[in-house]
Amino acid sequence: MSQTSSTEEKLDHLKHYFVDSDQQFEASKLGMWVFLVTEILFFGGLFVAYIVYRAWYPELFLLASEELDAFWGMVNTFVLIGSSLTVAMAIRSAQLNQIRGLIINLWITIGLAITFMVIKYFEYSEKFAKGIVPGSAYSYEGVAHEKANIFFSIYYMMTGLHGLHVIIGIGLMIWLVIKAKKKVFHSGYYTPVEITGLYWHLVDVIWIFLFPLLYLID
Amino acid sequence: MATNDSTTNVKRLQVRRYKPEENPETHYLNQEKGLWAWLTTVDHKKIGLMYLGAIAFFFFVGGVLALLLRTELLTPARSFMDADVYNQVFTLHGAIMIFFFLIPAGPAVLGNFILPLQLGAKDVAFPRLNLASFYIYVIGAVFTLVAIFTGGVDTGWTFYTPYSATTGGNVMAMTFGVFILGFSSILTGMNFIVTIHKMRAPGITWNKLPLNMWALYATSIIQILATPVLAITLLLLTMERALGIGIFDPALGGDPVLYQHFFWFYSHPAVYIMIVPGFGVISEVISTFSRKIIFGYWAIALSSLAIAFIGFLVWGHHMFTAGQSSLANMVFSFLTFLVGIPTGIKIFNWLATMYKGSIDMKTPMLYAMVFLFLFTLGGFTGIMLGALSVDIHLHDTYYVVAHFHYVMMGGMVMAFLAGLHYWWPKIFGKMYSEFWAKISLGLLFIGFNMTFLPQFVMGAQGMPRRYFNYIDQFQSFHQFSTIGAYVMGVAFVIMAGYMLHSLMKGKPASANPWGSRALEWQTSSPPDLHNFHHTPVVINGPYDYHKPMSEFQLGIATSHNGHGHHDHETVNVPKTEKEQA
Amino acid sequence: MSGHHISSARFLWGVAIVLFFLTFLTVAVTWIYIPGPWNVVVAIAIATVKALIVSAFFMNLYWDSKFNILLFVMSIAFFLLMIGITLLDTLFRVDPIPSF
Repeated sequence: MSQTSSTEEKLDHLKHYFVDSDQQFEASKLGMWVFLVTEILFFGGLFVAYIVYRAWYPELFLLASEELDAFWGMVNTFVLIGSSLTVAMAIRSAQLNQIRGLIINLWITIGLAITFMVIKYFEYSEKFAKGIVPGSAYSYEGVAHEKANIFFSIYYMMTGLHGLHVIIGIGLMIWLVIKAKKKVFHSGYYTPVEITGLYWHLVDVIWIFLFPLLYLID
Repeated sequence: MATNDSTTNVKRLQVRRYKPEENPETHYLNQEKGLWAWLTTVDHKKIGLMYLGAIAFFFFVGGVLALLLRTELLTPARSFMDADVYNQVFTLHGAIMIFFFLIPAGPAVLGNFILPLQLGAKDVAFPRLNLASFYIYVIGAVFTLVAIFTGGVDTGWTFYTPYSATTGGNVMAMTFGVFILGFSSILTGMNFIVTIHKMRAPGITWNKLPLNMWALYATSIIQILATPVLAITLLLLTMERALGIGIFDPALGGDPVLYQHFFWFYSHPAVYIMIVPGFGVISEVISTFSRKIIFGYWAIALSSLAIAFIGFLVWGHHMFTAGQSSLANMVFSFLTFLVGIPTGIKIFNWLATMYKGSIDMKTPMLYAMVFLFLFTLGGFTGIMLGALSVDIHLHDTYYVVAHFHYVMMGGMVMAFLAGLHYWWPKIFGKMYSEFWAKISLGLLFIGFNMTFLPQFVMGAQGMPRRYFNYIDQFQSFHQFSTIGAYVMGVAFVIMAGYMLHSLMKGKPASANPWGSRALEWQTSSPPDLHNFHHTPVVINGPYDYHKPMSEFQLGIATSHNGHGHHDHETVNVPKTEKEQA
Repeated sequence: MSGHHISSARFLWGVAIVLFFLTFLTVAVTWIYIPGPWNVVVAIAIATVKALIVSAFFMNLYWDSKFNILLFVMSIAFFLLMIGITLLDTLFRVDPIPSF
């Protein structure tokens, strides 16, 4: 990259306080990784709550997870992994200067993310109808454990915050599409695509853990 | 590695000496005009100043609240405010001082201003995020003010459940405000880590990094690792209040002690977010005013990182009486003693730096010495509180209050003031009155000890903290303490006075009034909007007082002023280093 | 050190297919009976492998600078620290949650 002669390299994106494109790219990527560290510890808090309560009440988790549909959980896992693939393909397109491919891959990713949220919506509404709601309004009698509300509080907090991240991700992708259409990205500058991709993969990784921990207890 | 760019390992740079311009006509304070330019600036120095204004405001508010508390405690039972009001006042004093003053004071104010200057960078890595962090801070502050005026908060700054989930007032606005504030802290930490990694000027290798940078680096690591846990904790607490999710509320089957684990996983490391930047300031000040190379550079640098790490292992010492398992109690008590080691290393190295130095008793140095005295006292009493059996007796007494104030006010506030006085000429290009600064410092020292020394005795005798009322035997202690608080109030009024005078009519400061070797002093006072007119090159360590000043004023020899991108000029210029014009 | 690794489309598809397969596997193992704590261990092990694959080959950590890897490892380490020390308390209490 740094070997590209500076005459033909487009440098509109380079901020004045960086020496060159590489320094700027490395800095942005490092910044994103630092941010991902905070994301991991943010969700980490919820995982701690999960582990503590599961260690206390293993039978509760066994009973309550039967209310969750493993089939739709699996479908959603496939959907998210597929979207991770398309994001990786989008980054590849940007690296190769294929702006059309970049935009198409981003649109597929957005589509998959929306599919994920739609499935989540049907899962939530099915539970709400039964009276499985987060908080003190919980009124479902089907789980024979006095702390059933706690399991579902943890479930809603974890999947809810994850869903929020998916929605933020959709917003970021749309922003990327708009910028790509304005021909901002090229093989010498695709930093926002790369770091949004990192964010999206992390959202995927978190779901990879949520799926077996919540849906697959037997 | 000569530069940040690692494509070639050895890179030759042509350097020449740049003497800093004295009293420049244009500098960062007057290069952009108007209020709007200030509010939308992405310049790290101006953002630092806006933070300075904000924390000064909150320090004033928190200080007035403290004086109200002390006044109320002049007599047992009601003096002039009700018990409920008292509860709200001590909660606000704690929350404001911790979340709105102490946490941003180190990184966001002094760090923001000094970090790019000490690295020879033009700005932090993400200037717009830096500005965003300031506005996020402001939004968090607005939520807190909303909480104060819509019912108040009486939970104490720790927001312990189940009380915080059930009490009246507007706890939600407050916790949401602090939640938002966390993002501001995270952005600052993120910016600093990336800036230190990627934007050091040519020649600043890791072993030439000023110790202030090491301290801020350690602080940033704590900020990014701990703050997200505070965020999730407060989010869960907010949901607890809003919906009753029950994870922390025993009435709904939850565990309140789990809340305390979550809270202290952030809040114990957070005290190191507050104090570690202070350590960095003290290292700079002591070396500068002892005219001597710092003793044990690596010991001080690595002990900052060690403190950052060990700080994550000891949170349970806040919970010895909360009902956690006795195994956890023992482990936490043992681990707590470990914190004393890196801290002791630092104190030892600072004293060794002063030994046989030619010490110049300027105000910042006096602050540093006050810091050493008070912080050591605070640290030792902390070791006592970390001892399990002693803590059972002292827990939740004034002994804890006194310990905390010795560490935080005697430690961090003194270090912050040392830094503020040290960099004041650089920040504003004006000198302040040494005479009044020393008077104010003397009063502060006397007032501080009058306020908090009696609290150790009171606490050991059993006076519980956060109590509105007390038995008669404590009255003389309380009154002595209150008078001390008034003395401190006077000291701060004097400080505000001479600082304002300095801003209005102060003598102009030279570029390097203390004769320091550090990089931030090798540019004009106040600095240019882009910090340096050249790209600085560093060949000596920041504390090499045995080498001539001319070796510290080097920059890449170019015809332009160092702005813009000129790759062809910085790469592979065949010339030896160390050549001075 | 360069952050500009370009994976081939074939490779990315291959990674995704491995991930799809592991997802199917983690569901499939719930159809057979695995006793005691081992069912959790298997589920977490598969999830960890998947997460490592995503971070190494989708997030390009495999080709990335060592410090970015260190950051990732550090965040996991501190999470383990948080849960580990918290469990020292919650697993060893006489009475898990005080009854009201």
